[in-house]
Amino acid sequence: MTAQRQTLPAGEADAVQRRHVVSALVVDRPGTLNRVSGLLRARSFNIESLTVGTTHEAGKSRMTIAIRGDDGHLRQVLAQLERLIDVLEVTDLSTTPRLELELALVELAPPRGPAEERTVRAALEAAGGEVLFTDDALWRARLTASPDKIDRALEALRGHGLRNLVRAGVVALATTSSTAQDSQNGATQA
Amino acid sequence: MTALPLPAPEPTPTVAPRIGARAVCEALVREGVTTIFGYPGGTVLPIYDVLREFPLRHILVRHEQGGAHAADGFSRATRGVGVAIATSGPGAINLVTGLATAMMDSVPMVAITGNVSRALLGKDAFQETDIVGIALPVTKYATVVMDPDEVPLAVAEAFEIARSGRPGPVLLDFPKDVLQAETSAPHPEPYELRLPGLLRPVRGDVPEADDLAEMIATAERPLILSGHGVQIAGAVGLLREVAERSEIPVAHTLLGIGNIDETHRLSAGYAGMHGWMHANKAIQQCDLLIGVGCRYDDRITGKTSTFAPNARIVHVDVDRSEIGKNVRTDLGIVADAGDLLAALLRRLPQYEPRGEWMAQLAAWREVSGARSWHGSGSWRDGRLSADYVVDQIGEATDHEATLVSDVGQNQMWAARYFGFRHPYRHLSSGGLGTMGYSVPAAMGAALGAPERETWAIVGDGGFQMTMQELATLVQDQIPVRIAVLNNRRLGMIRQWQEIIYDENYHSAELLGPDLVRLCEAYGIPAWRATRPDEVAAVIAEARKAPGPALIDFQLDEAQNVYPMMLPGKGLSDMVEGASE
Repeated sequence: MTAQRQTLPAGEADAVQRRHVVSALVVDRPGTLNRVSGLLRARSFNIESLTVGTTHEAGKSRMTIAIRGDDGHLRQVLAQLERLIDVLEVTDLSTTPRLELELALVELAPPRGPAEERTVRAALEAAGGEVLFTDDALWRARLTASPDKIDRALEALRGHGLRNLVRAGVVALATTSSTAQDSQNGATQA
Repeated sequence: MTALPLPAPEPTPTVAPRIGARAVCEALVREGVTTIFGYPGGTVLPIYDVLREFPLRHILVRHEQGGAHAADGFSRATRGVGVAIATSGPGAINLVTGLATAMMDSVPMVAITGNVSRALLGKDAFQETDIVGIALPVTKYATVVMDPDEVPLAVAEAFEIARSGRPGPVLLDFPKDVLQAETSAPHPEPYELRLPGLLRPVRGDVPEADDLAEMIATAERPLILSGHGVQIAGAVGLLREVAERSEIPVAHTLLGIGNIDETHRLSAGYAGMHGWMHANKAIQQCDLLIGVGCRYDDRITGKTSTFAPNARIVHVDVDRSEIGKNVRTDLGIVADAGDLLAALLRRLPQYEPRGEWMAQLAAWREVSGARSWHGSGSWRDGRLSADYVVDQIGEATDHEATLVSDVGQNQMWAARYFGFRHPYRHLSSGGLGTMGYSVPAAMGAALGAPERETWAIVGDGGFQMTMQELATLVQDQIPVRIAVLNNRRLGMIRQWQEIIYDENYHSAELLGPDLVRLCEAYGIPAWRATRPDEVAAVIAEARKAPGPALIDFQLDEAQNVYPMMLPGKGLSDMVEGASE
């Protein structure tokens, strides 16, 4: 990777706090996660979620980092992330069209009647979910949707027996405008 | 298009098997290393066991921090890559201050540490520590080499990372059994390095130089602020050519000392917190500020909102993450300083001297020179002042010596009064501000550039932090002349307490040994000077010593460094201090 030579605009750091979704292509080797998270920690960024997984290319992993911070500071941190030897490419997806999804697993108390069951199933469906397991004592379900849709579904489930929750963190993919309609399961477009 | 048949993969070439420790040493020799600074210990003994077989001079330091600083000094004086070796655990951890020092100042360095054998990693074995984890934030790269077959590639990549783009220190950690195991892996050719994530500057022409040339064409009071990046890029000659072609004066940062001969008509001097008032006034009054290879760090800018208020600010740096980090930037150019200066030179017409602007600078210079302690005559009253001592060392050595300063008042006096003419002669811990840097770094510089005289300028506080290296200087007869600016105080602490903390001098007074008798114990010739009329003679004596020498300059304890930019203030409201 070569440094891009570019003329940068004038202006001090923008003090706008907002959520960013950063995608980083990294070398798949021990310590890479430590380097990335260490750099964010050193600048006191609180990571909302961070996922790592393999890519279609051997030896390369993709990190998706959801993080809050002001635009100026984040831009600078991303430039510092790019300096890391094991980081190949860093993109802030916040301002580009993207597919953004999260997986959540929940445990619920079994519904106390058909009305509650309809409410629970409707909440799950609105967040691309399905019931995976039921018995007399416990239901387990999966949700796959944008983080805000999952948030809304969980809010609805809270009064209806939500007992346990595991969220995977977001994964995101930049999309071109031609695939921007591909918002099945409630993926958000920026 | 038809797909071409892929050529059959060539068999991986191998070499005769040798242990990892030998592969490490071979790799160092291949990288051009001649001198290494180290301290043995259990996990690196496999390297020490084979060291005699290689043309590598090993300097046995007295503490690993000294080894790291010596490697740093060697790098800075030679523009090469210094090497330090330490054992696992405490040995490795002792390198950390030196690594951080090199990181902040973009100094290429390779640190080699041993660790416990692979099977013991994570078992809290004797002298085990996660040095890679500790070193991550203070190195450009740090990694553990777990496979003996990876040793040649790992060392080659470490050197490539250390010196490419914006340089920095790299730490390689070798479990002991990796150093002991045999490998037939060959040393890689440059094209075999796998560093897709290493940022390398685009080389060649810099099209943005068009914009810069246009900005210069419309500027009335332009100023170049040049930093360490100019010397790292080897672009000192180009900088002078650009200055002379454009008739733009050149100020410099602490680590930019040597970018321009201070006697050059276009030299605008050392700028910043304790820089020359005329340089700082030039920054505040210029209408175009061209920062080349500098970080616009807080010791230069002070309060950024009042920094260079009348100027369009240009920032040229090889590291994109520096641009816009500290100051507003009207034009940011990501490029090697040398490439940018060469590109600019091709686009510049020959300018006429900027009469009014240069006259203004000269007028400011006259005032700021007179107001500093130096030349004010106080030393003529029989008191020994630091600026006079530094000035006399500069004069005695024809300003040709390598001068390694420590941190604090001594560092500022050295920067202001030595009178530098050449690049790579002023070494100092500018970014991290590491007290104790000077003596060990001077050791490395003296070995790296033996053709020049090497002086360490150090306060009595910093000297006591790393004075164990006196023994190293004696053992290897390394000709470092140490000038201790001895005010029996932590001088910069005392100065801050006087000016900012209402003369509440807590812990500023510092008891030290009788330095002349200390040197006697080490077998180092030493002198003491307490009056100005003794200075020239003791410097002349110290210069005659074939090995190390020390002078204890007993200073007036109350001397401060002026001017001074107070914390939270800007370049326009500096304290000028007592002119006596």
